[in-house]
Amino acid sequence: MSVPQLIVPFGNADWFALAPSFVVAVTALVIVLADLILPRRVRRGAGIALGIAGFAIAGALALRGWGHPYAAFGGAFMSGGFAIAFEEIVVVAGIFSLLLCGLLGRDDQAGGALALMLWSASGAMLMAGAANLLTIFLGLELLSLALYCLCALASRAGAREAALKYLILSSTASAFMLYGMALLFGATGSVSLAAFAGPNISTTLFDLGCGLFLVGLCFKLSLVPFHVWTPDVYEGAPLPVTAFMSVVTKAGALAVLARFAYAALPAAHAAQILAPLWFVAALSMIVGNVAALAQHDIKRLLAYSGIAQLGYVVVALAGTTPQGMRYAIFYLGAYTFMNLGAFAVVALLSRERDEGSRLGAFNGLGYRQPALAAAMTFFLLALAGLPPTAGFTGKILILASAVSAGYTWLAALLVIGTAISVYAYFKIVRAMYARTTGAPILRPFAPASALPWVGVAICAAATLVLGLYPIAPSDVLPLVK
Amino acid sequence: MIAALVIAPIAIGLALLALPRSADAVAKWTGVAVAFVAFAVTLAQYGAPDESLRWLQRPFTANFHVGFGTGPGFWIVLLLTLSTGCALATARLPRMRDFVVQMLVLLGAMTGVFVARDLLLFALFWDLMLIPVFLTLIAWSPTKTSATAWKYLVYNLSGGLALLLATAAYGVVQGSTDVLGAAPGSLATISDAWSLWIFAGFAFAFAIKTPLWPFHTWMPDTYADLPPAMAAVVSAVQSKAGLYGFIVVGLVLFPGAMHAFVPLAFALGLIGLVYGAAAALVQDDTKRVIAYSSLSHLGLIVLAIFSFDPVALGGAIVYIVAHGLFSAGLFTTIGEVEAREDTRMLSRLGGLGARNPRLAGGLTIVSLAALGLPGLCGFAGEILILTGLYRAGYVWQTIVALVPIVIAAAYMLRVFQGVMHGPEVDDLPQREDMSPLEMLALAPLVAAIVLLGIDPGPVSSSTASRAVTTAHAAPYETAALR
Repeated sequence: MSVPQLIVPFGNADWFALAPSFVVAVTALVIVLADLILPRRVRRGAGIALGIAGFAIAGALALRGWGHPYAAFGGAFMSGGFAIAFEEIVVVAGIFSLLLCGLLGRDDQAGGALALMLWSASGAMLMAGAANLLTIFLGLELLSLALYCLCALASRAGAREAALKYLILSSTASAFMLYGMALLFGATGSVSLAAFAGPNISTTLFDLGCGLFLVGLCFKLSLVPFHVWTPDVYEGAPLPVTAFMSVVTKAGALAVLARFAYAALPAAHAAQILAPLWFVAALSMIVGNVAALAQHDIKRLLAYSGIAQLGYVVVALAGTTPQGMRYAIFYLGAYTFMNLGAFAVVALLSRERDEGSRLGAFNGLGYRQPALAAAMTFFLLALAGLPPTAGFTGKILILASAVSAGYTWLAALLVIGTAISVYAYFKIVRAMYARTTGAPILRPFAPASALPWVGVAICAAATLVLGLYPIAPSDVLPLVK
Repeated sequence: MIAALVIAPIAIGLALLALPRSADAVAKWTGVAVAFVAFAVTLAQYGAPDESLRWLQRPFTANFHVGFGTGPGFWIVLLLTLSTGCALATARLPRMRDFVVQMLVLLGAMTGVFVARDLLLFALFWDLMLIPVFLTLIAWSPTKTSATAWKYLVYNLSGGLALLLATAAYGVVQGSTDVLGAAPGSLATISDAWSLWIFAGFAFAFAIKTPLWPFHTWMPDTYADLPPAMAAVVSAVQSKAGLYGFIVVGLVLFPGAMHAFVPLAFALGLIGLVYGAAAALVQDDTKRVIAYSSLSHLGLIVLAIFSFDPVALGGAIVYIVAHGLFSAGLFTTIGEVEAREDTRMLSRLGGLGARNPRLAGGLTIVSLAALGLPGLCGFAGEILILTGLYRAGYVWQTIVALVPIVIAAAYMLRVFQGVMHGPEVDDLPQREDMSPLEMLALAPLVAAIVLLGIDPGPVSSSTASRAVTTAHAAPYETAALR
């Protein structure tokens, strides 16, 4: 009598494709366990060290897959250049966010908080390769659920408000997306993105599904007009979490957006379906930068600046050209370094109960801590797209891509948005160097941890080097099969 | 070596930040030494081969390509290094070390603008050179607000970003931005639709930088609020970047579009020429007199460039350098006046010459150069430009342009008279005349003013004659005029 055998249709290659995401998730478990065993003093340090090690291993594993694209799990997860690029961005952002975690939560919460951050990152890494509606949603919820908890970690009322706001609005966005997915499934009979591009799918149902799906993604990317939650959540969340969110959620959502835009839409209708997206990008660049002008809190300012920066990235995708994809990834990578560098500077101004995020904290910084002020100036130059930084080079690449794709009006709006943003960023430069901005509101103090200095140094070096030698990886077109 | 002219000042400048704050003197003399070494190196590099390093391959080719060739960039870099050295040697400011850092970064960035042979590299340095000026306006602002700094930044960066967009578009259309040193005729022509609006982007940036009326309102404030040493360098060299751009980018790459812009450029240039001279006549602040006189002088150079006449163009280059020399001299001497009397308002000053004969002598020479006395550098440029304009058929424009040149004598003498002559003002401090060191710092400028006035030939014939031939103008005739 033969025993019915359970056949698992997936081989080693399938699991290997998911390895980076797994490693990060498992590292989170290790951190939780270590938190139980280790003495209280060293828990936080050990957690940070373990997390960085986990990210580093995941990053190395992901790189090994370069040049060997593989459709894992029957096409649910596409490993390959595109996924790897986004995974690496998440890894880098994760490492730099961990460096800022000296003040995250109380000491007895640190282990759990760090683990949540890693789980969230593993969700984003899943989204990087997701080519199937279920995987996309799984990654998205893994990313978001951990973040809801992380937002509530700071011991102030604003943090809980932020967490609740994020929970409600993000769930709403998820609902939009889920409804869109349901409609897409109804129109095509499949959850696989590969099935969407078929020649004879163009029903109202499909278009409506695409619309709702894109609305959900724009919420997650915090593009105007779906951005209103961003500044409040960024302001309320603890600093390392804000830093983490500002890159990782956007990287995850952008990966899905790009894969959907490039590979999943029927060629005949793609331009029509995506047209509203370019208007959303244009609005983001203008509204984000104008709103940034009025901010008095660096976290809110960076929130609005992030809205605009993601607008620039979407401009690179305009016309869905292959080179546009490369430049979008390049700019997102550059944004990772310059943005997290700026967050690291803010972290070095933070003390317990005071995150040093009010712009007043920068008054006279150029005379109190010249090196820190110089680093901040450099990051702000990069965010404003001035030379000699990766922001400058990234912007010229995006401009060129938009012009050659025929979207000159978007390029012109990008330039106008940049001109506006300069005032917002240089307001901080002025506060740091003007002799007349009044007494600093912070007395000199030693930062809680010197770890962010590592982040500042590496981010500054990377911003400079990427500016002079831009490496935009080729072979990063998103695939669905 | 040419790349080192760009990188070394920036690197040395930033390295100075490692010095203790009290090391002001060390920093200052390091800065002066760097500037004069750069001057010597530049002299040795005349006609040296270009240096190039690959930068971008896609979406268009761009290289770190620097070189002097025999174009006007060489003379402007000489002017830049000379005026930086002289200005720094006489500078007296609080936080000198930090100021020297800004000056050296500015030196490196501006050298980059004038040696760049790649449009993207040009755009990079164009934006970079704004930053030290902005930081200086903020950190050494004489007022409580930073309004001047914002005005400077908003104006110039709008131009810089338009330049960036135009560069990107040019790169996409042409396939390469490594074109500033290209042989004439080797470039594919761009369709009119593209070239018109790409040139409009460039022209917007150049017009703000020059500045052309009505984009000039940032300039008087900026010059008035900058410390004299940096005001000297900015007015002498940075504002020339716009004119340089019209020559090496406009004339060479977009001759057709330049022709289309001639009526507009002439109108704005003439308005600036007259308006600047009229405004200079009534200013109380001596620095503002010089600022408005710059508006006037630079308007004349714009006319020369847009006349497409080789003689006028040769004159334009001479006048670019000449204006740099005497405006650096003027800002330096006015800085000396302010250091002695704690004011630079004409209504307060007077009678300084009696106790400060050497300073009065210095101011005399640079003022005479500015009002166009034959034998000094200003005249050499003006006569070439006016001759060229007349030759090219712009008769009534030449006549209008003559008027402000006459007014120049009025406002320059008004400044000289107001500062040096008349009875001494009792409630102003009385300080020593120029020290030998300060005279030594002014001497190279004066020497150059005289030299260029006597023999402008090398400078005027250095013109990108390529530019002229590309622009389909008449053959070049400097030799006849020498």
